[in-house]
Amino acid sequence: MESDDMRNIWQSQGGPAAPLSLEELRKKGAKFRSRIVWRNVREYVGAAFVVGWFGYCAWAADTGWRRLGSALVVAGAFYLAFELHRRASASAAPGELAWRSCADFHRAQLVRQRDALSSVWKWYLGPLVPGLAILMGSGCVTAFRHSITAGLLSLIPLGAVALMLWFVGRLNRNAAAGIQRQIDKLETIAGE
Amino acid sequence: MEGRSQDERYLEAAAQYGAALHRLAGAYEADPDKRRDLLQEVHLALWRSLASFDGRCSLRTWVYRVAHNAATSYVIGQRRSRSSAWLSLEEAAAVADSNEGVRAADRRDAVDRLLALVQQLKPLDRQVILSYLEGLDAAATAEITGISAGNVAVKIHRIKNLLTERFHEGGGRGK
Repeated sequence: MESDDMRNIWQSQGGPAAPLSLEELRKKGAKFRSRIVWRNVREYVGAAFVVGWFGYCAWAADTGWRRLGSALVVAGAFYLAFELHRRASASAAPGELAWRSCADFHRAQLVRQRDALSSVWKWYLGPLVPGLAILMGSGCVTAFRHSITAGLLSLIPLGAVALMLWFVGRLNRNAAAGIQRQIDKLETIAGE
Repeated sequence: MEGRSQDERYLEAAAQYGAALHRLAGAYEADPDKRRDLLQEVHLALWRSLASFDGRCSLRTWVYRVAHNAATSYVIGQRRSRSSAWLSLEEAAAVADSNEGVRAADRRDAVDRLLALVQQLKPLDRQVILSYLEGLDAAATAEITGISAGNVAVKIHRIKNLLTERFHEGGGRGK
């Protein structure tokens, strides 16, 4: 069987012209838009919760350090919400699927994923760290003033949070490096 | 296409390329239920995109780009952790076909084996082989995929060899 025969066999597979009516497409299009809206709403509600809670903590704090830490968490949550909004707004427009060739589109998607992962400290984890560090650090200082044992015990959650942040950052950096390798291969293929 | 509505453009595109999109969905997703979902996603993406059709390329190029890009996004999302299992054309040629020696005279069997071959390819190689199977020439394939025309020609040459080896009547791979 020659390759041209395979073309004929391939093209002999029929299929419906359109699996959805125009009305169904309109409904799915509206559902798609509402899914995006709800995703944004969920993110803003999450940020509002953090802002509300730590805003209250800043107002009710009994020490200057706790007030400062809570205020910094509030500022970090605002920045995080802004970044999420900015990144969601930058998602592909419907026409972009056709304006870009497959190699370009694929590369743009990979670059977007790589940048989001490699800068996760800058826009996702980092903004909350100063406030959390001050809050937890001030808790440790208070515990050490009470007793050495209490102080040492208070270091455990601090260390666990630091370790978790480092681990998340490391995972994201490794994933970004894997995507960069895919981008390099793609550029080699497209440019040959 | 000037002055035509999004719906009219979509109906024209679906009438001309609906069967090709059906085949394309099969090449990107093996599971029948997921394939149906993917085909609907591709049609939705096409309908949405045609609201901004501006004639910068032919309707055919537009349709295939939207379909391949939507399908590639879908498979990347589905197989993010397993994308390393995808093969290039060269790697696929080096992998022994489990059906080697079986006559490919049965059309259904040939289509199934062809689908299995295409589904394991990396996105760009998959786009080139699908363009070839749909009868597009190297220039059209280059415009859709963004790969240089020279590279497309090389890939098509490899595809022809691969198909001839895999589906040669009698099943011999000649190696």
